[in-house]
Amino acid sequence: METTDFSQPIRQSSKGIIIIFAFNAFSFFKKFFVLFIAFGVSIMRRKSFGGITPTMMLLALLGVLIIILVIAILKYLNFKFHLSKDDFHLATGIINKDNTIIPKSKIQNVYIKQNFLQQIINVVSVKIETAGDKKSEIEISALDKPTALLLKKKLFNKANVENEHAEQIDTIEASEVFFKVTPKRLLLEGISQNHFKSFLLILTFAYGIYSEFKDFLKDLELEKHVEGLVKLDEDTILNLIITNVVIILVVVLFSFLFSIVTTFIINFNLEVVEHQKTIEINKGLFNKVSLSLTPSRIQNLVIKTNRVKQYFNLHSLSVKQAMVNAKQQKNFKIVALEKEQLNHLINKLLINYNNEGEVAKPRPYFIRISVLEMLAFGIVINALSLFLFGIEMLWINVVFVPFAVLYVYFAYKKAYYKISDNFLTIGSGVIDTTTNILEIHKIQEVELKQTLFQQRSDIASLVISTASKSVTIPYVSKLEALSIYNFLLYKVESQDRDWM
Amino acid sequence: MNFTNLQIQTEQLPKVEDVVLKPISKSYLKIILLNKLALYTGLIGLVFGLKYIIEKKEEVQLNLWYMLSAVVVFCIFNFIVSLLAFKKRKYAMREHDVVYAKGLLVHSITTVPISRIQHVEESRSWLARHFGLATLKIFTAGEAGSDLSIKGLPYIEAKQIKEIISDKVNGNN
Repeated sequence: METTDFSQPIRQSSKGIIIIFAFNAFSFFKKFFVLFIAFGVSIMRRKSFGGITPTMMLLALLGVLIIILVIAILKYLNFKFHLSKDDFHLATGIINKDNTIIPKSKIQNVYIKQNFLQQIINVVSVKIETAGDKKSEIEISALDKPTALLLKKKLFNKANVENEHAEQIDTIEASEVFFKVTPKRLLLEGISQNHFKSFLLILTFAYGIYSEFKDFLKDLELEKHVEGLVKLDEDTILNLIITNVVIILVVVLFSFLFSIVTTFIINFNLEVVEHQKTIEINKGLFNKVSLSLTPSRIQNLVIKTNRVKQYFNLHSLSVKQAMVNAKQQKNFKIVALEKEQLNHLINKLLINYNNEGEVAKPRPYFIRISVLEMLAFGIVINALSLFLFGIEMLWINVVFVPFAVLYVYFAYKKAYYKISDNFLTIGSGVIDTTTNILEIHKIQEVELKQTLFQQRSDIASLVISTASKSVTIPYVSKLEALSIYNFLLYKVESQDRDWM
Repeated sequence: MNFTNLQIQTEQLPKVEDVVLKPISKSYLKIILLNKLALYTGLIGLVFGLKYIIEKKEEVQLNLWYMLSAVVVFCIFNFIVSLLAFKKRKYAMREHDVVYAKGLLVHSITTVPISRIQHVEESRSWLARHFGLATLKIFTAGEAGSDLSIKGLPYIEAKQIKEIISDKVNGNN
């Protein structure tokens, strides 16, 4: 492998032209898409538009493409970066020259990504994030992989370490692939997902399409057809019910497929690599991403599983870090972990987490609130079905009441909290079983909440925020809430430990 | 250490419930009143406006009094709640944290440790300047919702608190 020298200003790989060109062309066409359609249609119709013939249009289009290409080449030529001892330097701009300098110590994250086009021409893009807002992001869109990895390493090396010494460390640093997902487990993960979300998505999508094509359907005189059906006797009512059931089954099937396919695309070839201090996640089919996790920056861990997944021994782990933008945050999720692997990872990410502490439950008030919620929901559903479909639709309660009872039962059963010396663990969920873990010294703010009605029964809730997420301990007795409150504050304020 | 041990220990910990919370400046009530008055005039105006528009098209006259009384009841209720809630707005500063309590229907006590504060800001609206008040905004690194803003502090006090916090924050780093 030829090592690249980063001390001199260098350009990205010449394939970068293609990437920049494709990206610019794409965004150009996206912007003027409507205009194109309008022009195209009117020209098709009249053969000419204000003296412009189709050939002229084509030539103009070609001209625009050439201009974009020239701009891409110029951009490529003027894009230079290099590393000095403590800083990363970047010079960009064709006419307005920009010179960006980022101190290495201020770099928060370095991501390596690869979208579909980049996979084809075998380059990767490197994204450098600092603590500021989104604008302070830098993306080098085309580097070959070894160079990118080297750059990433060098960016993370502390400036005061001697260069050669650092390289030695790198070679010593044992990195092993700790976890690699198999397609079978990924398939199971997709199947056992909570399908409600994708079901709703598909349903709204189907409804949207339906209302779009309503007029079209009317033209087909479908309505008359339907009316004709309704006029017939009870046989056809059965028919109607069957059609409805079939439609719902199709939607369910679609949402199943949708869940599975998205799980596959996002988590394709998911791989967790263990370095000495950090953990690296690689995944993705069309958009390959490579992310690294640093234990000190982790604020919350969220573990999710459900009944079916537990059976297959599938657990997913989301890692919430500070100073990561919301879009990237989603990527820090490792799915289809086995129990032992999960425990190993948690131990690596949270030092000394041993799941100790006594499990405490919310007060029975929790049940009362859940029942009230379900009651309100039930009233709305009943009113709606009565209003829309008439008295017969009240049969929906046959489905709804058991659902509501199960909902309340599981919500209370799965709710608990656990406080140990350094960690706070909160369990919640209805269909999913969610476990939230956070380190007490990373708490940013504690809030005690009590409504007017809770005052009478001496109930209060606690909201605990870290730099990336807020969690709630719901409905405990006020005395207990206050003692937890005081304990957490005491822990945070007496330790003088950094939260990041 | 498990939770039962913890219970005993918490007896000796500094208690947030023992902190004497200071009410915010009385003049802030005037600002609340002015704001509410503006809101109510707007709402009642809206009712009349709606009536005017609807009556132009159709002959619906009964509507007005129902709507008006509904709006007025809402206003009175809202007014009483905000008057009572005003008394709940209290704050305190301890050695290591800032405490702020507010809310009548949903009462909340929020505490931000000073070591977690990123920066402090003291801002004054036009009305607040008129009454010699200021809002103290405390920013942490937390989620967007987890910043604290204490409204209706006397200007001098807001400035003092800001100085104290800034000193402590900078001293820690």
